[in-house]
Amino acid sequence: MSRNVNIRSLKTGVPGLDNLLGGGVPEFSIILISGTPGSGKTTLAHQIMFTSANPSNRALFFTIVGEPALKMLRYQQQFGYFDIEKVNQSIRFINLSTDLLEGDLDRVLSRISDEVKDFAPSLIFVDSFRSVMKAGNHVDPWISTQQQFVQGLGMLMTSWLATTFLLGEYEMSESDASPIFAVADGIIWLSQDLQRNSVVRKMQVIKMRGQAQATGLHTFRIGENGIQVFPRAIVKQGLASASVSKASVGTARVPMGVAELDDMLGGGLPAGYSLLVVGPSGSGKTILATEFLAEGARRGEPGVIAAFEKSPSQLLGNLKLYSLIQAGKIGVIDTRSLDLSIDETLHDLIEMINSMQAKRVVIDSLSGFDLALAPEFSEDFRGSLYRMVAELTGMGVTILMTSELEDRYTDLRFSPFGSAFLVDAIVVQRYIEIQGQLKRAISVVKVRGSAHSKDIRLFDITGDGIVIGEALSHYTSILTGSPAPVPPHKSGDKADGDE
Amino acid sequence: MLRHQTIESLTTQQADMTAEGAIALLDQVAAQIIVLVGEAGFASLYARSLFVSQFQFPWLAVDGPTAQADHRFENLRASLRAQPLWLAIEANRVLLLTLTDILASLIGEPLTNSIMDLAWGDKAPMKSGEEQKK
Repeated sequence: MSRNVNIRSLKTGVPGLDNLLGGGVPEFSIILISGTPGSGKTTLAHQIMFTSANPSNRALFFTIVGEPALKMLRYQQQFGYFDIEKVNQSIRFINLSTDLLEGDLDRVLSRISDEVKDFAPSLIFVDSFRSVMKAGNHVDPWISTQQQFVQGLGMLMTSWLATTFLLGEYEMSESDASPIFAVADGIIWLSQDLQRNSVVRKMQVIKMRGQAQATGLHTFRIGENGIQVFPRAIVKQGLASASVSKASVGTARVPMGVAELDDMLGGGLPAGYSLLVVGPSGSGKTILATEFLAEGARRGEPGVIAAFEKSPSQLLGNLKLYSLIQAGKIGVIDTRSLDLSIDETLHDLIEMINSMQAKRVVIDSLSGFDLALAPEFSEDFRGSLYRMVAELTGMGVTILMTSELEDRYTDLRFSPFGSAFLVDAIVVQRYIEIQGQLKRAISVVKVRGSAHSKDIRLFDITGDGIVIGEALSHYTSILTGSPAPVPPHKSGDKADGDE
Repeated sequence: MLRHQTIESLTTQQADMTAEGAIALLDQVAAQIIVLVGEAGFASLYARSLFVSQFQFPWLAVDGPTAQADHRFENLRASLRAQPLWLAIEANRVLLLTLTDILASLIGEPLTNSIMDLAWGDKAPMKSGEEQKK
C-alpha cells in the first residue's frame, strides 16, 4: 500500500473545466482565479460554489469592495446554477467591506477566521481578493504585512481543511510581484480576446500543484447555465499516426449511397476515413452528403450533420434529410454564429456522436465553417481542421466534408484551404460544357492506401438522388471545362483508369 | 404578498408594540442585509427607503452613514419617539415595506424573504420563505 498522501480531486461542476485541471480541484488547495474585469471570475466561482455546496459541504463567499454585492446577487441569479434554497443553508455570503475600511488586514483575517469557525465551510471564496491587498496605505511595511496576511490566510484555510478560491483582477505582468502567486496551489487565468468585432473568452490553467493540467489556452462560453469550457483538442500520439496505420490495415468499407461512386472508390469509402467533396456552388455536394447519411440510416448507422452554410429552413427543404432528422436517425448541429472556436464545434459534434452512437459525420461545409469561426481561429483554419479531423477519425467515425471550390479551368486545385493533405480521400465535382449543355462531372482524386478509379464521369441529380453516368473516356481536355472528343485514332489507346 | 403580510403582522398588529420595538425590527433586518451586502450597501438602501417614506411622513429624520450598530438609527429613533405611538408604528411599517420592496426588486423576492426569516425567525407569524415553496 502506498504511504503517499492521497489528494482528492473535487469536481468543479463546470462542464469541461475538470478536464483542464487534470481531474478537478485538489482538496484543501488555494486556487487563484484571475483575469480582467468582465472575464467571468465571479461567474466561475459562483458556478463552482452552487454546484458543489450542500449541507455537508458548505461554502462561505466573502465579498469585499469591487462589484457591489447587491448587483452581484442580482445578476448571478440569472444563471441556471443559482439555487436560492442553498443561500443561508449551504451557502453563506459575508461582506467584509466594513472590516477593510481602515486597511487593517489583521482585522480582516480575524473576521474571516471567526466566520470560518462559525460556519465550518468546506469551500471558501474571497471576491475580490485583490481589493484586500490594495486596501490601506502602501508604505514599505505594508508589503511585509501583505505577505503575512497571505501566509496567515493560507495557513488558516488549510488548517480548517477548506478548499479556497481567491478572485482577483490581476494582470499577467503582476505575477512576479504579488505574494499570492507563490502561495496559490493553482492559478486559473481568464481572458477575453478581441479581434475585429469578435470576442473569444479563453481560460488557462497556469499551475495546479500535484496534477497534470491541460496546458495552453482553452475557449469557454458563458451561457444561461453558466460557464462551459471547451478543452482544446490536442492530437494524441496515437491519433496522429492513426491515418498512417489505418491505410495499411484492411478496413471495412462504408457504402456512400451511390453504387457507382462506391465502385469508383474501390468498393466504398474505407471506414474511419475522412472524405473531402469539393465542387462549385450547386454541383450537388450536399445531395451527395445526404445520400451518404441516408445510406447509413438504411444500414442502422446513425449520422450527424453539422450545417454551417444553410439556414434551418434551407436544410429542412431537403426532404430526404428532413425525414431522416424527423425519424431521429440523423442529428443536426445547426449553427450560424460567427464567433465559434473549433473546439466548441468539436465538443458539440462529439457530444452528439456519443449520444446518437453515430458512425457517419457530415460537415457541410468547410467554407461555412470557416466563416462561422472567430477571426483568430479562422487564421489557423488548417491547423484547427487537422486537430478536428484527427479527433473525429480517432473516434472511429467516417467523415464527409464538403467544400466549395469555384471551377477554374486554368489550374487544378482540390481544396481552398490547403486541406487536401489532411483528408484520406477526395472527390471532386466540376461543371463542364458538352455539346452546348452544362454538365456535371465527378472524379475520385485520392483514396489513401487504396486503389480507386481515375475516371472522370458524368453525373446527374434526379429525384432519386445522384445518378453517375458514363466515363468521359472519349473526351480530352475535360478539366478545361470544354472537353473535346478524342480523335478516333487515339481513343483506342486509352486504358481503363482502375488501378 | 406574504412579505407584506409578515411586516403588517409584526408592526401594526402587535398590541404591545413600542417605538423601540419598531426600531428593533429594523435593526434585525439591517444586520442581515449588512452581512450580505455590507454597510455601504445597506446605507444606500436605507437612504433611499427613508427618502421614499418621507413623502408620507416628512418628519422622519435622516441618519448619517455610520458603521456603528448602536448609533445606526439614532435620529430615526428620536423622530419616532416624538410622534404618537400609532403614527410611529405606521411610519416604521411603511419604512420596512419600502426597504424590503427595494431589496426585493434588486435581489428578488425569495432571497429577500430568506433575509427576513433570518432576521425575525420565529417572531414572524408565517415564515416568509414558505411563499416560494407554494
